[in-house]
Amino acid sequence: MSEKVYALLFRLYPAQFREAYGDEAMQLFHERARDEQGMWAKLRFWMDLAVDLATSLPRTHRRSAPMLAGVSPQSIGVAPQFHVLQPEAPRLRAIACGGMLSVVAFGAILIWFGYSRNYRELHTVQGPTKHDLLALSRSGRHSNARTESEMPGTAAASDESEIEDSRRPAKVVLSSWRSGSEPRGFQSTPALPGASQSPAVPQTVQPKVQGATSAMTEAFSDHDVVMLGEAHADKQEYEWLNELVMNRDFDQRVDDIVVEFGNSLYQKSVDRYIAGEDVPIEQVGKAWRNMIGAVGPPSPVYGEFYAAVRAANMKRRGKHQMRIVLGDPYGDWEKIKDAEDLGPYLAHRDEWYAQVVKDEVLAKHRRALLIMGSGHFLRRNGPGLVESTIRAAGANPYLIVMGTNAVGGYDNLDQRFDSWPIPAIVALAGNWVGELPAMPVVTGGMAPATPLKLSAAADALLYVGPRDSLIEVRMPRAELDGTPYGNEIARRLAIQMGHPVSFLSDQTEVPQFPRPQTQPQTNGGPRPALPPMPKSIHDPLPPRPPSQ
Amino acid sequence: MPKRKLDPLPSAAFQILLALTDGDHHGYSIMRRVEEQTSGHMRLGPGTLYSSIQAMLEEELIEEVTRRGDSEPGHERRRYYRLTAIGRKRARSEAEKLADVLRVARARKILRGDYV
Repeated sequence: MSEKVYALLFRLYPAQFREAYGDEAMQLFHERARDEQGMWAKLRFWMDLAVDLATSLPRTHRRSAPMLAGVSPQSIGVAPQFHVLQPEAPRLRAIACGGMLSVVAFGAILIWFGYSRNYRELHTVQGPTKHDLLALSRSGRHSNARTESEMPGTAAASDESEIEDSRRPAKVVLSSWRSGSEPRGFQSTPALPGASQSPAVPQTVQPKVQGATSAMTEAFSDHDVVMLGEAHADKQEYEWLNELVMNRDFDQRVDDIVVEFGNSLYQKSVDRYIAGEDVPIEQVGKAWRNMIGAVGPPSPVYGEFYAAVRAANMKRRGKHQMRIVLGDPYGDWEKIKDAEDLGPYLAHRDEWYAQVVKDEVLAKHRRALLIMGSGHFLRRNGPGLVESTIRAAGANPYLIVMGTNAVGGYDNLDQRFDSWPIPAIVALAGNWVGELPAMPVVTGGMAPATPLKLSAAADALLYVGPRDSLIEVRMPRAELDGTPYGNEIARRLAIQMGHPVSFLSDQTEVPQFPRPQTQPQTNGGPRPALPPMPKSIHDPLPPRPPSQ
Repeated sequence: MPKRKLDPLPSAAFQILLALTDGDHHGYSIMRRVEEQTSGHMRLGPGTLYSSIQAMLEEELIEEVTRRGDSEPGHERRRYYRLTAIGRKRARSEAEKLADVLRVARARKILRGDYV
């Protein structure tokens, strides 16, 4: 009971302070309450707490005052704000108005009671059961039906194949991780009639454009999980991410980075590598070179990102350390011989990713940045499977998706983006950016506009540069052409596609969003027929083997 | 130039620095050590303790450390704090100021008995 009372009182502290020290403060309270038994000791304990509240509350609010300027209108709407903006000590006149302050305090308590209904407990994060996950995956409205997988790498070639899925009347789309010289024809999902769309906002309402790093760290003030929907293999995006992990504020607020580009089978090696141990690169590299979701050659940006997190941890040895958590299913390519072996892993990528976040982040009360292709995270007709699952488990995620200045067709570039700093993050609610059609913006103008607005698809937009400046980084041909790894990639692609696939590229840097071709590139021949869908996609994930 | 949060050094912050002079401690341990070294006169509540810690971290007087085993996946982390070189210097400087005050007090004969 006394702990509950103190937990309520502790909510009077600024949100940032609660996030940073809430757990420790409650633990300290618990230990003092445990140790200080007896009537006199308890009385003294509560008097100490009263004095502590009276002296520390004004100080903590005064210190957090500069941050109030940066609080989004959205958060102001749901949280009580203490407008203690003057840096000097309270004046005598203010003290003389004690009676008035009492009224204000009473009002604040009333507001706070209303607010507390939406406030998540600091300590309790309950996850849904496996049945919840199954129910979600079978409901048919989530993105697991849209399974992405790496496709032939010819000039980052892209393809789409539609296959029947007996679980739903619609079709399952196997679309590429990234797209390229072949027409992508990005198959966007139109918003369903009746899908939640915010009312129109005048085009004159300007967004709040923030530097990407400060906006990202600020997002963790109000959210335990931030989801970043990425454009795969993008040079500018990963240059920023590599800087982000070196940022001290980010490091102090983030415990885990959950990545799509890492096979869970190799979590143990990655843990050792990220912690700074001497792990052979051939061993740890299996995490991003043996991915299940991306069968083609991985972009070098991913290995560099792992190295950046390791370097950040080593630079801050003895201090808070970040962990990379691998969200790709744990398929072992040494044991995958055909499409039936691969099927269960490909069919459960989003479920597995969500499960990893539940087990490794939420259940341990940690804070995490989740990185996955934007197609997995985008809210099309409501949250996708990953977001739905972690919300059901108690998370309060903030969704940022990467986008460009392409706001309509491929040639429809919006000059209003030109004045933004790079990289920037823009909150989407209530301004002209949020009113833009989501699909062209997140696909570099490759996908046609649908009724889906950006503000309905995500909370914020990451902008790392104009569409035509963005670069996709590819693995050099020399690492693949005739090498054992190249031969293995060829084998994997043949398993997935049912026929040999060309994946070598002479260029290591190509446009991220090249102009779509009007006719499919088939290298002069007919398009090979797509392989039949493996029956095993309906099978559950096999048991997880020990981590390597 | 923005005013430093810990200038002058509040007594709670000084006591926390003193509590950390002989090793790393977590919040509750710091609170108990401060209580001991002030003969029970100062019992830091959670708000005072952690707001002081926050300010001292920002000014790099102390640093957060991960204890052996705490970084292992799945281990529920408990934050420990360590005095930095800057913090030690600041504590020494503060102690010297107090020693000066004490010398003056003794010279003015306002102290009874044998003090430091």
